[in-house]
Amino acid sequence: MSSEVSQNLEQDAVLRASIDRSLRHPVMFFLTSGAAWLAVSIILGVISSAKVHSPGFLDGCGWLTYGRTQAAHVNALIYGWGFQAAFGVIVWMLSRLSRQECRASGIILTAGHVWNFGVSIGILGILAGYGTGMPWMEFPSFCWPVLLLSYFAIVVWSLVQFKVRPEGHVYISQWYLMAAMIWFPWVFITANVLLHVIPGNPVMAAGINAWYKSSLIFLFFTPVALGTAFYLVPKVSGRPIFSYSLAQFGFWALAVIMPWAGMQKLTGAPIPYFIPYLGAAATIMFFVPAFSAAVNILRTAIADPELVNHSPTLRFTMAGVIGLIVMAVAAVFLNIPGKTLEFTQFSMSGYGFEILAIYGFFSFVMFGAIYFIVPRVTRREWLSRRLIKWHFFLSVYGIVFIAVIAIFGGVQQGIGQEAFDQPWSEAAQRAFPYAVFITFVWFFIMLSNVFFFLHLTVMWLRLGRRSTHPTLLVSGHHGSPHGEDGDIDDAGSIAASAH
Amino acid sequence: MSSPNQHSKPDLDETINVTRAHGRVANESAAAAREKHLSDSGHESVPLWVITACGVVLLIAGGVLGNAGTLFSYNNTFREGYVRGTAPGGSDSGPEAKAALAAFSAKGSKIYSAKCNGCHGADGKGDGANYPSLVGSAFVIEESQKFAMIILNGIQGPISTGKTYGAGIMPPQGAGMTPEDLAGVMTYVRNNFGNSTGDVVTVEMAKAALDLSASREKAGQSVTSEEILAKHKVMLPGEQMAPDMMVNPATLAPME
Repeated sequence: MSSEVSQNLEQDAVLRASIDRSLRHPVMFFLTSGAAWLAVSIILGVISSAKVHSPGFLDGCGWLTYGRTQAAHVNALIYGWGFQAAFGVIVWMLSRLSRQECRASGIILTAGHVWNFGVSIGILGILAGYGTGMPWMEFPSFCWPVLLLSYFAIVVWSLVQFKVRPEGHVYISQWYLMAAMIWFPWVFITANVLLHVIPGNPVMAAGINAWYKSSLIFLFFTPVALGTAFYLVPKVSGRPIFSYSLAQFGFWALAVIMPWAGMQKLTGAPIPYFIPYLGAAATIMFFVPAFSAAVNILRTAIADPELVNHSPTLRFTMAGVIGLIVMAVAAVFLNIPGKTLEFTQFSMSGYGFEILAIYGFFSFVMFGAIYFIVPRVTRREWLSRRLIKWHFFLSVYGIVFIAVIAIFGGVQQGIGQEAFDQPWSEAAQRAFPYAVFITFVWFFIMLSNVFFFLHLTVMWLRLGRRSTHPTLLVSGHHGSPHGEDGDIDDAGSIAASAH
Repeated sequence: MSSPNQHSKPDLDETINVTRAHGRVANESAAAAREKHLSDSGHESVPLWVITACGVVLLIAGGVLGNAGTLFSYNNTFREGYVRGTAPGGSDSGPEAKAALAAFSAKGSKIYSAKCNGCHGADGKGDGANYPSLVGSAFVIEESQKFAMIILNGIQGPISTGKTYGAGIMPPQGAGMTPEDLAGVMTYVRNNFGNSTGDVVTVEMAKAALDLSASREKAGQSVTSEEILAKHKVMLPGEQMAPDMMVNPATLAPME
């Protein structure tokens, strides 16, 4: 009996290893080039943020004006890092959950290169001055079909795998990831067709644009990150999800509420009066799916705080989930019409909220997933726990400061803007100290992600540790700073007898 | 690319060192092997404070929705009965005062584009065949009562020059006109397109014109040249207003 069980476990492990191996190239490509785009995005973010308080910085170069670098910064963050990290995690996780090797990794890798090409052309287009000026859709308008087609070529295999999966139950992560995969093209096609192909009323176009931004956050990045967190935490801790029915409730709440959000950014604009209120109410209600999922995940993991502390995966994922709680609370407080909305509508607190969503929540969960996935697909362990720790602490402190400063600084700026009998420079003056601090903090996040990118690149080159022991974030003076020395596997000549 | 599966059947070939192959499997899938199984068997009850927190947020969201007016009514772009509040600090007490002639003309030009433009043209010159010119016309620039009666009731037959244009009918334009509208459009036409009487037709005068028009003998019928020349060859009653008097451009009432 027990030998049968161990036989099953071994077969299981072999199957997992073969799935991981089949996806090694596309997954590592997505994650590494995503990390590279993240670094590019943050460098552009530092430049654009510096221009807010020091307009003379790099002012001789037309390619690096604020309007271009800020747009390139955000678009590189969304399409370069966010989507590629999501692709890497989606194709890997859905293969694992459908228990099948991926048979289309060549096509996925090719499509990934096409996506990268589209993003590169888009970013260059923005910097060259061909941006469209629509937030989050600044890529020149010929880019979106390229991105859309490569998107389908990347994710369709996961849908096929799901279709032919072995019989069985559909796990909550599959719900979240599949939903995100289906919602994204709906949102993307709707917004791009209505804005680029059949442009209508320009006021409504601004509304559609605002809805697009909000939908990318709430209907793509959020479900991808939640699906990932619901996978990672039980995987590492071995505990069942605290309340599975609460997780299902959270999914449906997200699906029902979030498509209505977004147009509160047009409060006061000549669009039908109820629309901004509906958007504000839906964004406020984001708290319900977000908070219930966050509590669920935290309660699952927190039973073993030491494990959360030691496992890079859990540590990053938990930080992301806490980011989600902050984001949920911010969604409530920033969107109350007549109280706070008018201060946040046109100020940098909107940016603060977006960075909180994309970096403070989504990216942290993606980092957690990357620390989990990469050792599996490369069959090498992370080289240095110090690099992981630096990445973690610089990122956590960085994002806390950026989000807090941008959101509160934005409210200050908004108060300045509302006093319309005062000169505009007063509002800029109010935002000035916050802008200086944001530049400063972006610089630290940049350092953190340079460490991360280098570490990941080394792993991509398969220069990681050959060991059967994971790299854990144990502190103390015993042992090597690079993790426990395991039995070094030189292609099987030494049997794993020691353990 | 070699598949790890080829090592997973070490017993097939006796030349394979089983222990060694087994160790290799263990190493290659070490990371995969130390994973735990996913489980969805968690059925802890949801803590009450989570439900409470969500309930509070739903109340806030409900309050926001309650202010949304009629949901899905696509015709209203602002709240019903909305009046623009004064700005913080109270420095904004409505629109800035404007000289009367400019303010009345500005209001009148809007009425003109809506009601008169189609026939008399943007330059007020008509087309010479069907629609007469307003420039220098005696009915326009002389006594204001004549002009008011024509606007409010229309005119049939020949006009001041004795010529009949087109079918000889101008339809009445008075429907829905407020005294402010009439005062504005009259001031506008009498001081534009080359006309320059320099006087303002006040709201008081326009009100008098509306009353006069309603109490005509043949009320509801268009006026004729004879009727105008016989009965309305006077200025509208009311106090004159200096053209540079400061007025509220929205209400046309005098302002300090």
